[in-house]
Amino acid sequence: MKIKLLYFLFFCATATVTAQQMQISGTIISSEDDFPIAGANILIQGKNAGTTTDFDGNYELTVEKGDSIIITYIGFKSSTILIESQSTINVTLSPDNQLLDEIVVIGYGSQKKKEITGAVSVIDSKAIEKLNPVRVEQALQGQVSGVNVTTSSGSPGAASNIRIRGVSTNGDNNPLILVDGNRITDLSVINPNDIASVNVLKDATAGIYGVQAANGVILITTKSGRKNTELKFNIDSYIGFQEASNSIDVLKPRDYAILVNEMSMNGGGDPKYIVYPEDGPDWQQQVFTSAPIANVNFDANGGTEKAAYSFGASYLDQDGIVGGDKSNYNRATARLNFQYDILKNLKLSTTAIYTHSNKNNLSEGAAGSVLFNAINMNPVMPVYDATEEDGFQKAYNLGGEIINPVAQLANTYDKTRVNKISATLGLDYSFLNDHFKVSSKFQMNHSVVDGHVFKPEVYYGPSKSFNITTNEVYENKDYYDDYTWDNFITYSNTFNEDHSLTVLLGMSAFKTYGTFTGMSGTNLLLDGQQVNSIEYASVANAETQINRFTDEQLARGSNTFDTRLLSYFTRIQYNYKGKYLLSGVLRRDGSTRFGPENRFGYFPSGSLGWNISEEDFLVDNDLVNLLKLRVSYGIIGSDKIGDYRYLSTLSGEATYVRNDEADASELLQGLAEGALSNPEIQWEKQKTFNIGIDTRLLGDRISMTMDAFDKRTEDLLITSQVSGILGSSAPGSAPPTINAGTVQNKGFEFQIAYNSKFSEDFKINASYNFTTLHNEVLFVSGENGFEAGGGFGVGIGVDDAGRMEAGYPIGYFYGYKSDGVFTSQEEIDDSPVSSTATAPGDLKLVDVNNDGEITADDRTYIGDPIADVTMGLNLGFNYKNIDFSASAFASLGAEMVRDYERQILEANKGTYNLDRWTPTNTNSNVPRLSTGGTPQSSYFSDLYVEDASYLRIQNVQAGYTFQENAVSKIGLDRLRLYVSVNNLYTFTNYKGYDAGASSGAPIGAGIDKGFYPVARTYMLGLNLKF
Amino acid sequence: MKNYKIYITGFIIAFVTLTACSDDFIDVPSRNPNSDDFFKTEQDYQDVLIGVYDLLQASFWNVMVGEIASDNTLAGGDPDNIDGPSIQDIDNMVHNDVNEQLRDIWRWMYAGLNRANYMLEFRDNIEFDTKNDMIGQALFLRAYFTFELAKWFGPLPLLVEDGRIQNKRMQFGEQFTISRTATIADTYALIEADLIEAVSLLNTTQDLEYKVTKGAAQSLLGKVYLYHGTFDAAKYTDAATVLDQVISDGNYTLASNFGNIFEHPGENADGSIFEVQYTDVEGAGFDCLQCSEGNVAVGFSGVREYVGPTFDSGYGFNTPTAEAASIFTVGDLRKDATIFDAEAIATSYQPSRGETKLYNRKYLPRKGDLGLGDNNLTNPNNYRAIRYADILLMAAEANIQKAAPDATKAKGYLDLVRDRAFGNTTNRIDATLANILQERRLELMGEGHRFFDLVRTGNADSTIDGFVANKNELFPIPLIELELAGAVERWGQNPGY
Repeated sequence: MKIKLLYFLFFCATATVTAQQMQISGTIISSEDDFPIAGANILIQGKNAGTTTDFDGNYELTVEKGDSIIITYIGFKSSTILIESQSTINVTLSPDNQLLDEIVVIGYGSQKKKEITGAVSVIDSKAIEKLNPVRVEQALQGQVSGVNVTTSSGSPGAASNIRIRGVSTNGDNNPLILVDGNRITDLSVINPNDIASVNVLKDATAGIYGVQAANGVILITTKSGRKNTELKFNIDSYIGFQEASNSIDVLKPRDYAILVNEMSMNGGGDPKYIVYPEDGPDWQQQVFTSAPIANVNFDANGGTEKAAYSFGASYLDQDGIVGGDKSNYNRATARLNFQYDILKNLKLSTTAIYTHSNKNNLSEGAAGSVLFNAINMNPVMPVYDATEEDGFQKAYNLGGEIINPVAQLANTYDKTRVNKISATLGLDYSFLNDHFKVSSKFQMNHSVVDGHVFKPEVYYGPSKSFNITTNEVYENKDYYDDYTWDNFITYSNTFNEDHSLTVLLGMSAFKTYGTFTGMSGTNLLLDGQQVNSIEYASVANAETQINRFTDEQLARGSNTFDTRLLSYFTRIQYNYKGKYLLSGVLRRDGSTRFGPENRFGYFPSGSLGWNISEEDFLVDNDLVNLLKLRVSYGIIGSDKIGDYRYLSTLSGEATYVRNDEADASELLQGLAEGALSNPEIQWEKQKTFNIGIDTRLLGDRISMTMDAFDKRTEDLLITSQVSGILGSSAPGSAPPTINAGTVQNKGFEFQIAYNSKFSEDFKINASYNFTTLHNEVLFVSGENGFEAGGGFGVGIGVDDAGRMEAGYPIGYFYGYKSDGVFTSQEEIDDSPVSSTATAPGDLKLVDVNNDGEITADDRTYIGDPIADVTMGLNLGFNYKNIDFSASAFASLGAEMVRDYERQILEANKGTYNLDRWTPTNTNSNVPRLSTGGTPQSSYFSDLYVEDASYLRIQNVQAGYTFQENAVSKIGLDRLRLYVSVNNLYTFTNYKGYDAGASSGAPIGAGIDKGFYPVARTYMLGLNLKF
Repeated sequence: MKNYKIYITGFIIAFVTLTACSDDFIDVPSRNPNSDDFFKTEQDYQDVLIGVYDLLQASFWNVMVGEIASDNTLAGGDPDNIDGPSIQDIDNMVHNDVNEQLRDIWRWMYAGLNRANYMLEFRDNIEFDTKNDMIGQALFLRAYFTFELAKWFGPLPLLVEDGRIQNKRMQFGEQFTISRTATIADTYALIEADLIEAVSLLNTTQDLEYKVTKGAAQSLLGKVYLYHGTFDAAKYTDAATVLDQVISDGNYTLASNFGNIFEHPGENADGSIFEVQYTDVEGAGFDCLQCSEGNVAVGFSGVREYVGPTFDSGYGFNTPTAEAASIFTVGDLRKDATIFDAEAIATSYQPSRGETKLYNRKYLPRKGDLGLGDNNLTNPNNYRAIRYADILLMAAEANIQKAAPDATKAKGYLDLVRDRAFGNTTNRIDATLANILQERRLELMGEGHRFFDLVRTGNADSTIDGFVANKNELFPIPLIELELAGAVERWGQNPGY
């Protein structure tokens, strides 16, 4: 069928017509400055012919009498002129108010912003420049409504979690990110300076991207050159330093000693300190450091008559605020964007991005991590002890996990090196008066990730989990590849001047595959002598060498993966006079992740728009420049689960021991089942309804967008705990992935922007947005009716601190409610308690089910990690040569769990304990301290749940642009200097490092094990153009 | 115009080619074998069998926490806070249905049971010479895991058909319908049936030390009969018969030096009938304790912050009580091999909670191990699961308890154990039931048997502080496990919890 259509088109295209011809010429100039416009397009309407202006704005063209020519240039309003007999046609183009005819990339094509019917947000390079982010994600936070970015770590080069309109699934909630159409999973490889625009597709119209689009789509377009422009260079550079934006308030030595004594004596023990010490290290200051950051970016853009090119290169070097170079990240990128008109109607576009990065990794976000140790380390112990072989103080009496964090940093050698090339190649061929366009685009990524870890022999003190008595070295090399091949044909035409129709038909094939390799070695030797230095840390020097994968595993391909998608899609867009807009999408996706019966799914979506401002009663209205109503509904599938979950494969761990005790060869390798299978597994379906209004008022000075959405994710793909009798806790096994639930995210988004030019010298802009989000699990299948997860490590550790259950937000915290502390023995006697050891000052747990006992059945909702409202505020002004901008982000109503403390006598404690209950301080809700056990405090209760609302001043920047005539003398077009501060201040009551941090897991997010905080960064930069 | 055609043709070819590749593109078979379509060679059976053995290593809590539950040892751990609260609860007999260790035991033993069932599900796929022996090993292991579960939790959710545990894996969904065996005795009967079959299939000797032997299966069968005897006295006779057989077959002798048994050379040596094999050649972490190839309980039992000769440090759990140390009479060579007094040789150490300053010497971390990270989790000490001395004592007990007691035979067995313990024949005692049970405590202290011996002989109530009769004989099924199986009502909780 498709073939026949193509042949038909082919024959049509070869038909030609001839008529009376004439020559015209002229100059195109800009009304703004009366300068000629180079590279303006002049096209004959309805014909496949045209030209562009030269450097002086001149053109010549052969036309026929009665033709209309259309003159277009980006950033200017187009002009259409009917050819009668005039041979010289000079045209003055006036600048577009930009906004209405802005072209927005929407997926396998682009569309005028005015005609868009979906919920799309755009951030352009100017906004990115203002924010000066080290990472792209930072530019999204607070800029567009409905997008929330959290970090699981503030360490340089660490990944962020981007959530578009909430958490809708228990699996992967990351949006699809496309850079020039190329899938990217880790945004850290992208240099923000390379970006021309970021578009966020939030509703069902993203469905044109199919199964990967259920969590929204982020389309990033990199900078490209422009035809017929001179070669221009930009240099952007900054240097700066970063410091910890926050530290946790822990006890000073004297207070610490007093509280340790009290805690010990309350438990019937002896006081530990006879003399209260006054001095001791501030352990957090010992590991935090003022860390330098430097970035230089160079790009060159230009174009000839047929080609446009852009080249960029950058280098970023950033130390971490924890451990300095021990968490260093550096990245070099090179980018090429090249577009070439092979023929007038055959266009080639190609991009290539190369990234090389090195990242040093620290232990973070877990018990035993550097910051965890810095928080919990005894504040009286010195850092160093000259009598020790390695000079470091050993962490005595602090359990197995707390060690000297300075010694830990010194013994950490963990590097990851990434070499990645991302390339795209596309051909567009237009024919039949440009009504038809065939496109074929090939995108690929190839990356090699080298990991090198050296674990030296080290002794942190007796009984420590981290002691190593035989040194180890790991060398891994992982290869990741993927490609996407998109082929599509677009037909667009306007009938009777009023009916515009665009039809898209296409297919896409995606394959991602990779291979993991590696070796490890133990006991480094140099000339037969044991050595313990990073200098000799290579597997080649190790006495014992072990393959990361056994021969059996290699034979079974356990070190490889291969996942594919095959999709066909069609989209119809129609509008009548640009007033009534209609769009429909149908996509058929096939994924290797599902069994043969459920492999394919069909996913439709549709949207309607009404440009009310085009109606007679509003057209040319001075107050209302644009008013558009949009409605969309659609179903998008998702396959974000592990491979082969429909099959029970022998991919588990089966290792036993011969008991030769000689070396690794004594291990017997067998086969066992991996994750439990579920042959019935099928697509998760997300049904999204969106209604929105776009409006621009008062000469486009005010723009507003409002959206209300209701997103229901059905047949949720869940992999969470199952009954242990199924054997899913066996090594290498896992619970099955099942379709088990419905989650609703509904909310309201509002965005308002104000731009005003009071005079040539004074311009201001301001924008504000907010998003409300109501997340509720509507249904969880299975007999048990809930899913559990999320580890909490204080006291009696639990591994089900988070739950997904109907009627509650996904991943809500499930534990005991408390009601202050017991103030007297009488009160204890009259209350249900969980332990006979309960004493005044102990936490009073609430008997929620009123059965007279405190049991596990009293656990209930005690908070959730999902913010009710997020908002962003951006302000800026230009006065003469000075520019200023500031942005802030706020998140309200999320809770976090304090899980970075250790309940050990000699571990340090939060300063809030100074207000603990004592017989003389009875008006307190902070439980007493005791080693005898305060049983209620060792349960997971709301004692550990805190409000994590915050307001963060994300960026403040002030710049000065030198007079053009001054800098032109030294050959520059533009010179700007600026100072900028990122994460200037965070207003919050949350006690932990970062109220905006999250592990990103749907169940278990918001459990804070000492997240690496975001850095406050001071920068001095310059922008240079020549 | 010519170029036109070339390019158009090119596009068409591209389009057609790709469209033609069609749906086969996403038909990518797994390179890992499909478990439902496996078992084609002898090696396949051997590979899967290794996976069953793997879960034996996850029985470390059973041993350590089982010992702590008894009157032999305290929980210990950090003296300054409630370290391992759910272990402390069990020590104090105040444990409830939210308990980390109990949940681990439940999940991990069931994981082993399921792996054994996977092999047995396909036992008839092909025939080969060594198959009987391999099936015998799988049956033994299934019995071992099921017995562990029965000791802790009593009646068990099991798929049963014709008086046998079904030879099939439990499939997702079946957890919502499966029911518990009616009684503990029913569970024991199922285990016995597995072991009787295993005895008939297994080799008497094996090429590698880790493998189950016929003697091991007979020994475990005798033990299960003994436990079964609590509910059905006739089973003591069965126990005596099969244990007598192990002894009369003459395949085992007692190690001459008791002190050597728990040192490295003592592994799989004289007197060893079945051991759980551990090694230190691979690292491990807290995120997957059941994945460790080392004996996790050993690191947990090490002396806290210990600096001194012979031993490595640990977390200081499982500390013998002064009372336990006091029961050894003068001249009993077992005392110094069983109880380690840190005070005597440590340069420095931190006494554990409870401050007995005594440690379980049989399973302490020894110096000289490889110590790959996490050193505390990768100790290579094998667990001596079934020792010949245990068989002798069980045989003695069964011969006393059986319908027609044979005190002479019992005395003979008891004498062998006493003579070895004292290095002479002058410390023999009468073979009364009380003496035999006391001898079990002396001989097997620190090895995880005591609590269950006290329960099955009805002595727990009078011996263990805090023990509540008609409740603490069994441990509660973790609440979350009842909930996850939708079985709060269907299985019900054990009495008293």
